[in-house]
Amino acid sequence: MKRLASLLAIAALVATACTSSSSTPAPASGGTLVVGLNGDMVFADPSLVSDGNSLYVGANVIQGLVGLKPGTISEVIPVLATDLPTVSADGKTYTFKLRTGVKFHDGSDFNAAAVKFNYDRWKAYTKGDLQDNAYYYGAVFGGFGDASNISSVDASDATTVVINLKTPQSNFLLASTLAVFGIQSPTALQKDNADTTPLKDNKYAQGQGESMVGTGPFMFKSWTPNDSIVIVRNPSYWDSANAAKLDQVTFKPFGDSTATLQALQSGGIDLAFSISPLDVATAKGAGLTMIDRGASCNQLNLDINQSVGGSPTIYANKSVRTAVAEALNKDSYVTAFYSGLGKAPTGFMPSATTGFKTETLPAYDATKATADLKAAGLTADQLTVDLYYPSNVVRPYMPDPKGIATAIANDLTKVGFTVNLKTEDWKGGYVSDATGGKFPLYLFGWTCDWAGADNFLYTAWFGYQDNKPNAQFGWANDQANTLMLKALGEPTVDAANADWGQVQDLLAQDLPMVPIVNSQPPGAMSSKVHGFVGASNGIEYFNTVTVTK
Amino acid sequence: MLRFIVRRVLGAIPVLFGLSVILFLFLRLLPGGGPAVAILGQHATPQLIAQINETQGFDHPLYVQYLDYLGRLFRGDFGASVIDGRTVAESFAIRFPATVELTIGALIFAVGLGIPLGRLAARHPNSWIDGVVTAISLFGISIPVFVLGYTLTFFFAVQLHWLPAFGQIDPRLNVPPVTHFAIIDALLAGNWYVVDAVAHLILPSIALGSIPLAVITRITRASVIDVSNEDYVRTARAKGLTDRRVNSRHIMRNAWLPVTTVIGLQVGALLAGAVLTETVFTWNGVGSWVVTSIQNHDYIVVQSLILIFATIFLTVNLIVDVGYAFLNPRIRYS
Repeated sequence: MKRLASLLAIAALVATACTSSSSTPAPASGGTLVVGLNGDMVFADPSLVSDGNSLYVGANVIQGLVGLKPGTISEVIPVLATDLPTVSADGKTYTFKLRTGVKFHDGSDFNAAAVKFNYDRWKAYTKGDLQDNAYYYGAVFGGFGDASNISSVDASDATTVVINLKTPQSNFLLASTLAVFGIQSPTALQKDNADTTPLKDNKYAQGQGESMVGTGPFMFKSWTPNDSIVIVRNPSYWDSANAAKLDQVTFKPFGDSTATLQALQSGGIDLAFSISPLDVATAKGAGLTMIDRGASCNQLNLDINQSVGGSPTIYANKSVRTAVAEALNKDSYVTAFYSGLGKAPTGFMPSATTGFKTETLPAYDATKATADLKAAGLTADQLTVDLYYPSNVVRPYMPDPKGIATAIANDLTKVGFTVNLKTEDWKGGYVSDATGGKFPLYLFGWTCDWAGADNFLYTAWFGYQDNKPNAQFGWANDQANTLMLKALGEPTVDAANADWGQVQDLLAQDLPMVPIVNSQPPGAMSSKVHGFVGASNGIEYFNTVTVTK
Repeated sequence: MLRFIVRRVLGAIPVLFGLSVILFLFLRLLPGGGPAVAILGQHATPQLIAQINETQGFDHPLYVQYLDYLGRLFRGDFGASVIDGRTVAESFAIRFPATVELTIGALIFAVGLGIPLGRLAARHPNSWIDGVVTAISLFGISIPVFVLGYTLTFFFAVQLHWLPAFGQIDPRLNVPPVTHFAIIDALLAGNWYVVDAVAHLILPSIALGSIPLAVITRITRASVIDVSNEDYVRTARAKGLTDRRVNSRHIMRNAWLPVTTVIGLQVGALLAGAVLTETVFTWNGVGSWVVTSIQNHDYIVVQSLILIFATIFLTVNLIVDVGYAFLNPRIRYS
């Protein structure tokens, strides 16, 4: 037994020595990169998805009129358009000039008619399977068909597209960078009956044959459900300077973060989109390169509900909310649960978000929190509170829900609360109960869809629903809601940002929730991977990547 | 015999029917927003959840939904996933071969090692050899499959790089999935890719086979010792037959009976174990599919899968019973 153990140890040493001695220069091109994803794609038609995995793959294959500068979350650049659009003074007409000589992967021409075809197609999605899955179109443009804020799309000539809005929409340009608004080949969409419902009969959406026919540096090759998604280099990419260097990228879905890390350490995959922050030290120790994700695009909050089931909670009292905010030692959570890959927020959104304004949030001060809580004059009974956290889930902003909840509970206990920790399964009740307004105090967060103030402040959190305050917070502030609606309808981003600034001031005044952390979700790659640019919004491009043998 | 089989098959129908009702109710009574939450992710507002439940018919009365499901089942339609739109039949055709491959791998490991170990222990009862074998089987039965799986991966894949850590075949080889049996597909692709496919099968087979290994070892040992003490064995030895002849002709032939039964019954345990093993090894089989479908509240898929699992289990039991009757002339069903 001893001999076996020493043999194993020697073999382990040899194996480690072998793996860490590779520092050959990067080749110019060729090869396959294997990328571990958190799960499988859902559909191979990016206009029908809203999940991270599908969009991650899709963004490398199809392109929109505009996109984000690689590695940033809010710098809009033209992609299939030659420049950013010209916008009419009333903010209702966006005119895009298109690139010439661009071809879709099936060889057909990209032009204004193709853009119009795509925009018209999304707008015409029928109720049921198509609308249920095309979340983003509905969310960005307020609905489908007549409900859509896009009144018409005109292809005035082959290289000019005019998008006419019914009312100005300040988030139009930033939201247009979403991979779901990528332009696909009308020829392919028609030939493959891409609008077939139910989706079980839709081969284009299921990626069984021709799918994702776009203009990107990679082309869709195959998808074996839950096993692998293969994209290959587009040999006739329109932007030769940025053509893909790799021959192929294979995406492999994993169901478990331990398995992903082990796959990376064993050399079975080259890059893991996501590893647990708790594994960062292990990954570094194993000689893996951590992905630099740049500015954060997510936020974990301690959500506070001022009204549950129609009656006010103790948190309707601002002193109590302030006491809660002051009680939390956020920096200690960043160290303990995020391996330092995050920051305590300096406002109500991640700081790189368009429209962000720095606000003075209550600083960590247990003594002051104790005093504020005393001043609120609550009975011992009222000071016994429930704190909810989700189980069976890990989110980029919430690597260890139970651990974070326990740390928060400890901090709250120190200032005079008696905390009962409670949990529910994430999909089995937590999400619906949280958004349905059943929890008084709970962990919840948001990963940006696009890095705009509207996406966090209005869509995710405080926009009124059916003319009532979002049940999630029970925060009634008509002034803030009116300002948010005004911001959404401003003709320019600058005008909107001024409104968003005022909204954030109101939030700082009222403190309807406690921002906890903006994290940089960790990912890791083998030292053989070069030229990869990370971003925290879940869109990363592989055209610049090379891999050494 | 035929009557026996017919009776067993007919007897299975109410079992499956009852199971389908219980499953159906159980799934629908789970808390949460149903599959809509899995579709919508962080965008799952009460309004959007209600919209999806409406379009997918999840807001209809339960009995209507059940009858609808049953009706389609009778037409051979197992339904489709609400999440990715794939029919159960289609996904099953992709994933079942992987599970069969893993089950066979685990059985080869468990039987191939379990029977020799059991015989070895039986030949030296209460010796140190017996002790070691007992220790191995106790270890096999008591260590959780996922712990064993991760430990094996850590040593043999992460540290030693001897064997792959996940999946059925190296994704870099681009083996086209034809039959979805990785080994057969690798053979078809040529280039000795089959070596890679077999290497991928080793660690998951050991992890999944550990419990059946323990059971088979124990039963073989007990059965061999039992038979060895029979009068006819003593008689055979007294007649001066060689040890080898006594072992093969008189002991093993009779000791096989309970061992065969146990091997058959282990198939059920293997299906259950596959749920964990496939998750640990990112094995694209039916087991990991059950896990994700339950997590996503993908009602239709879970219902159909459990029914299929139950049918497989009942069928295997039936085959074991029939096989038992064939092997053992003393037992005849009427």
